[in-house]
Formats: sequence, structure tokens, C-alpha cells
Amino acid sequence: MLQFKLVLLGDSSVGKSSIVNRFVKDSFDEFRESTIGAAFLSQTVTIKDDDQDVTVKFEIWDTAGQERYKSLAPMYYRNSNAALVVYDITQADSLEKAQSWVHELKNKVDDNNLVIYLVGNKVDLTKDDEEKRVVDRDVAEKYAQENGLLFNEVSAKTGEGIQQIFQTIGENLYEVRKKENTTNNSNMANRAHGQVDIQLPRPSTNDSTSCCS
Amino acid sequence: MLSPERRTSMAERRPSFANFSGNSNHIDTLMVPHLAGIEDPLPETTPEKVDVLIAGTGLVESVLAAALAWQGSNVLHVDSNDYYGDSAATLTVDQIKNWVNRIHNSKNESEPYKNAKLYISSSNIGPDCKYASRDFGIDLSPKILFAKSDLLSILVKSRVHQYLEFQSLSTFHTYENDSFEKLTNTKQDIFTDQNLTLMTKRNLMKFLKFVLNWEKMPEIWQPYADKSITDFLFNKFKLEKPQVFELVFSIGLCSNMDTKVPLALNRIRRYLVSYDVYGPFPVLYSKYGGAGEVSQGFCRSAAVAGATYKLNEKLYSYNPTTQVATFTDGSKVTVTEKIIMSPTQAPEGNKHVPEQKYEVNRMVCLVEKDCKEWFSEDESAAVVVFPPGSLKSGNKHVVQTLIMGSGSECCPQGTSIWYLSTTESGVRAEMDLDAALEALEISIIRESSEEITNDNDIVQISDDGRPIINSVRLGQSFKEYVPRESVQHLMKLSYTQLTSTPPFDVVNPALFDNDELNNRANSVNKFIPNASDNGIIYTAMPSSEISYDEVVTAAKVLYEKIVGSDDDFFDVDFEDDDNDAMPTGASVNGVINYENAIEDDEEDIQMGEDDSNEFVGEMEI
Ligand SMILES: Nc1nc2c(ncn2[C@@H]2O[C@H](COP(=O)(O)OP(=O)(O)OP(=O)(O)O)[C@@H](O)[C@H]2O)c(=O)[nH]1
Ligand SMILES: [Mg+2]
Repeated sequence: MLQFKLVLLGDSSVGKSSIVNRFVKDSFDEFRESTIGAAFLSQTVTIKDDDQDVTVKFEIWDTAGQERYKSLAPMYYRNSNAALVVYDITQADSLEKAQSWVHELKNKVDDNNLVIYLVGNKVDLTKDDEEKRVVDRDVAEKYAQENGLLFNEVSAKTGEGIQQIFQTIGENLYEVRKKENTTNNSNMANRAHGQVDIQLPRPSTNDSTSCCS
Repeated sequence: MLSPERRTSMAERRPSFANFSGNSNHIDTLMVPHLAGIEDPLPETTPEKVDVLIAGTGLVESVLAAALAWQGSNVLHVDSNDYYGDSAATLTVDQIKNWVNRIHNSKNESEPYKNAKLYISSSNIGPDCKYASRDFGIDLSPKILFAKSDLLSILVKSRVHQYLEFQSLSTFHTYENDSFEKLTNTKQDIFTDQNLTLMTKRNLMKFLKFVLNWEKMPEIWQPYADKSITDFLFNKFKLEKPQVFELVFSIGLCSNMDTKVPLALNRIRRYLVSYDVYGPFPVLYSKYGGAGEVSQGFCRSAAVAGATYKLNEKLYSYNPTTQVATFTDGSKVTVTEKIIMSPTQAPEGNKHVPEQKYEVNRMVCLVEKDCKEWFSEDESAAVVVFPPGSLKSGNKHVVQTLIMGSGSECCPQGTSIWYLSTTESGVRAEMDLDAALEALEISIIRESSEEITNDNDIVQISDDGRPIINSVRLGQSFKEYVPRESVQHLMKLSYTQLTSTPPFDVVNPALFDNDELNNRANSVNKFIPNASDNGIIYTAMPSSEISYDEVVTAAKVLYEKIVGSDDDFFDVDFEDDDNDAMPTGASVNGVINYENAIEDDEEDIQMGEDDSNEFVGEMEI
């Protein structure tokens, strides 16, 4: 199984946690509190390679409050394969914030294969009332194109486009990984070398609480 | 003021776990704290009032912040730097440059760093060069983690380990007679080592058996309680110099010949009980940077539990009467309980920073050599110890060296980072470090120049003028004839770090007694008019200790000062604990089984061949 790390970025209350919640638990909460207390969640998607099903697992890191004063730790971005940069289409300055996060990501992450997905959230609000929209789809889409980002408008509330975000990212990352593996086979194998899982002491030296694993 | 009643813990404050519903996609139940936010969203502005203000995101401060946040305290954690880690930071080459500048321009009367010298090969590192600044992660306090240690238990308990990746380190070299002796650190090694006499083997086994339970055998060590460990091993156990040095300096990682018996015995045991907990190695290190990563992990954990983080925030002053802390940017916060601060963050006009009378002298070299010769297979780090008297400088103190290869992801392929340190001070320290560096250089060139002798392109003309092509036959004399290639240094940094903690001692709790303001009787003595830091409790700077061993102790002492007891230190009850199918290890449950390190049956002496062909460093789930 392929595993990828995905981070979320964006202004407060644009709907980052709601998007994750929709994707992981398929639920939505009108009164979601501002996020403090999130570590990470994981969820899988299945993609097709010819006729084969490939399972891709996302380890999703929501922000935990460290971003509030621009104090996000490098650890947060480290080794991320994908980033969802979210803005709220009903909040004008949230796109600007998103753009500054994109800038930050490009500076901090030393990985040309990092997939950045720009997400305009809360499209449901414009369904009955176009007036509510303050960020033009075209403007955001143009920015995304110029900067090599994936883009879509979604709604965490109705679920519109949410699954598709992760599906697309999964497919993208899978393609990249496939190419890497054919050109440089050692790359992935190398990573596991010398790695130690500190939750798993060797059974021989363990006390009675360890049994089969 | 110590409040008698306890605050509700984080776990109690959290809303109960929302049931998963609907979607039948695979939900991975092993993953930690769920996504629900806690009850009180933080305001967008700096909080106006907090329980505890912590300044500096070094190791002790970060562990403390996380412990307090999970306990339920309202924590504001700031750092005057624009990065995490403070005295434990992992920095890029550019950040090192700024760090050195900062030290030179420091107006902190108690600046704990001095004598910083930096060389950077600007033709090799920088924009459009072979290496980029951020290819390197340089630790200000390089550290290794013993497999059985308090920090490791806390990492697992707090789940901070999930943010980190650990790798094994099994190679400890002792430098003696101009060469590196690899440590004979397993029972098998001892019995298969041809160089040891039967007598020595027996004595060594006897000692190893003793040391695992030394406290229970006072009749053996008490007469030597005030003597040095070297004395004890020579006279009581009749061990010979190579074994004594290995035990004291490589296994015990002691700093000099005079380390007292009980302290040294504990340090030797620490290694032995850690060996084989996860595999045939005693220590681990975290990838991408050591202490810097670990402190970031605890900061994230603290944030998850509700702590507020602000970098680039420097305290200007604190008024203990009004409880108002003022920052240099003009913002203010009321601190109801305590201010804990690293000496690196002390405001101008400080008068309370404890005296930092011990020196740790450090040197860091980025070197264009992969140094694989020094590592075990599949590993990417090694410890090299230069015992007293082993260096040309006639060193009285040990020089400890941690070598990190590219597999640690702290430096690019083909390079390595050499961390040297000594508890020697002043000019002598400089001489010792230089001598150790030279010994390392000579050794790596000698060991890595094997390739030259196999290189058919090398043609040497012999005395009578005939070319000799097969250089292999020339052996050692040829190797010495070939002009010595030099080691390409990409960066070289040296500095002195001061600390209030004596070498290899743990922090003295009395250091944290700067809070007599709460104790009216003493306030007159302690209050210093015009000091900017009345009422602030300072943490200790990292000591010379190469392991993480002092960190949890120091954090716990502070925790107790603030909360009143350390009973619930990281007593975190993750709500999804039932789902946690992972077996928890011996160290996690606090069960220590010393016997595992070395079984003491005499039959083992018959074990001839090495029966362990385990894959060093590999662990599968
Ligand atoms: N109408 C509508 N509301 C949404 C949508 N997504 C999120 N919301 C609401 O927007 C508010 C903020 O959502 P969150 O998911 O908490 O936002 P966040 O980006 O995680 O915010 P922080 O955790 O503070 O960074 C909540 O009240 C959600 O119910 C959406 O697609 N449509
Ligand atoms: Mg959120």
C-alpha cells in the first residue's frame, strides 16, 4: 500500500477540518469549533491502474493552532507529498491568505513533486444566492494554472467535489511514484533502512504484555 | 502560587469522541487524537491571560509545554527566534550564519554562547552551488536516545513519536593508539574476541553481571563510593586498560577518569539495558535533526492540546506584582501562575539568570565524505570517543564525537556531519577539539583510500624506472606514499556553550527557586529593583550530556513547581486508546528488566560462534 502525507493550510474557518471530516467520516458539522486538538487522521482511496486496484493511504495533518501566528513548525511540512490549500469563496481575503501559504510551501518544501491543490470551499452558499460569492472562479483558476496547482471549487457541507480532490491527488502521486520507481528503484527501499519503530520493542526482551503482533 | 485543587485535564475537557458514522471507507483506528476541536476556540489576538508563559522552545521547555497543556494549563509558548528549538535547534547553513551573528551582537548580559567561529565554503554551499543551505540540518545540541530511557517512554506515552522517525545507532568506536577500535559491546563479542585472555573475559563477565544490579551489592562498591570508576575497575575487577576505557568512555560515555563510581555505574548500565530492546543496538536518533525535531514534536503536541505558539516574540520585562509580561513588540499578557524561560531568551536588564559556570566546547564540521567506513551496515551514524590521553594534545577530558551520514537526512549524499564536544574549557578545549578533528580526518582518509589501491589507472614508477601497475601489491607503503588527499570541509563551526549544569549531572532543582516572591518572607532578598526579570524561573541550558537523559528530569521538576505534583505528568488519556492494538513495550510500562541485557549463565561461555545474524537496525512492523 502506498502511503502519502497530506497537509492542510488556509485561513481560519475556511473549512479545512470540515473537508477532512467529510472525506474521512462523510459527515458535516454546522458548528465546528476552530481547530485545536487535531493530530492526524488517515483515510484511503482506491485508484485504478489498468485493471488493478491500488490502495492509496493518506495521512492527513490538519493544522493544530501553530499556524495562527505564522508559527508552523517545519515538521508540519516535512515529507508532505500533497498540500490542500483552502480558501472560502465567500471571504475575499481568504484567497490572499491561500496564496501566501502557497508561497510559503514553495519556499519551505524541497520537493518538486509536491502536489498542491487549491480548493475554493463553500460553493453550496452560492447555489441559491450568487451574491454571496466574492471570489471569482476564474481568478482563482488562473492563479492556480500559473503556479502549477490543481484547482476546484467544492462544498464540505454537501460533499460536492470532496472525494474527487483526494482521488485526483492519489492518482497524481501514484503516477509520480511509478515513474520514480522505474528510474530509481533504490529510492523507496532506502528509506526504510535502519528505521526503528519505538512502539515495538523486540519480543525477546519484552515483558509479558507482548504477545503475538 | 500553587493551587491546591487540580485543573481539569485536557482529556476531561474534551468533548466525547464523535461516533464514526455513515461512510464505510476504511477508517484507520490506530491514528491519534481525533479531529474534533476543543471547547474554547482561541481568540485571533494574543491571549490576554494565561496560566503559564514559557519562553524558548528548547527541549526542556517544549516537553514542559506539552505536559502542562495536556494537564489542562493554559500555556503561551514563545520564542524570540523565528525557528523552533532554541538551544536545541536544528538549523540550515544560512540559519547558522545568522545564529553566529546573533551571538556576536547579543546584548544579553547572560548570553550562554560565546567564541562562535564559522567557516563556510561559499563556493560549495549557496545558490547555484553544489549544495544548498537547507540540504543540511545542523544540531546545536546533538543528542542520542537510549532505547530504555525516560524520554523514550514519554515519547510513546504522549504519542509524539508519531511525528518522528527513529533510526538505530550501534557503532561506538574508541580511539586508541591512532586507530578506531570498534566496541565489543555484546556478550558474543566478548567471547569471540581473540584478543581477550580467558581471565579478562571472566572478569569482564563478572563486572557486567554486577553492574546490572549494582545497588543491591553495596559490599562490592561502597568501599569505592568516593573513588573514581577507573580505580574501581582496575582494582576491584582487575580489568585491563582497553576494557576499562571502553566501559567508562564508550559505554558509559563519561567525561574523564575521575567520574565517581555510582554515577559511572549508572551510566554503564544505561547502555547495557538499552542494548537489544529494539534490536542489536543501544541507541536511536531521530531523522532530519535530533533535538530540534524532538522539541518540534513536543511543541506540536502542546498545540494539539491547546497551547498558543508565537515565534519572533521576545520578552521585554515582567512585573511580578501586576503579573503582566510585556513583549518587545508592545503586546502584553497576564500570567497567573509562572513564567519559565530559557537563559537564551532573557530580557535585557536581566539579573536573575543563574550563574553559567560550566563550559561545553563544541565543533561542527560538514565534510565531503560519506564516512560509511565508520557505520554499521544499513546505518548512518556512529559515535567515536577519544578517551583521556589518546590525543596528540594530551587531552585530560574525553572528546565525544557523533558522526551523522546522509541516511539521517541531515546532510546530502556524499557528505557527513561531525559533531565534536568536550567538557574541557578554554584554550585546552580548542587544542583537544583540533587534535580530535585531525585524528578523524587522518582516519577517514586512510580508511576510505582503499579504492585507490584498486584503481588500475594509478601508475607508479619504481626506483629503477619501470612502471608498476598493480598497486595492490604495494600495500601500506604505497598508501603512505600517495600524497594525502585532504578532507573537503564545507562548513566548520566552533563555539562555547555555557551551562549551570555540571558535566554529566542532572539539573539541580534549587536552580528553579527564583520564585520567592510568592513566599513573602524571602521576597526582599530576591527582588532586585530595576531587574527586568523578577519572578522569572530560568531553565538550565543543555549540559554536555550527549543523551537526552537530563531532559525529562528537568521538565518534571518544573512541572511539579507549577502544578504541585508530578503525578499526572503526561498522564494523557487518549480517547481512542481502546482502539490501540499496538503492544506497549516494557519501557512504556515502566517495567525495567535489567536481566535482558546480559544473561548471566555461565554456560554461555561455551558459545563459540556468533549466533546472532540479525539484520542490524531493521525493524518490521
Ligand atoms: N455552508 C458551508 N459551511 C461550511 C463549509 N465548510 C465548512 N463550513 C463551516 O465553516 C465553519 C468553519 O469550518 P472549519 O472546518 O472549522 O474551518 P477550519 O478551516 O478548520 O478552521 P480553523 O480550524 O479555525 O483553522 C464551520 O462552522 C463549518 O460548519 C461548506 O462547505 N459550506
Ligand atoms: Mg480546523
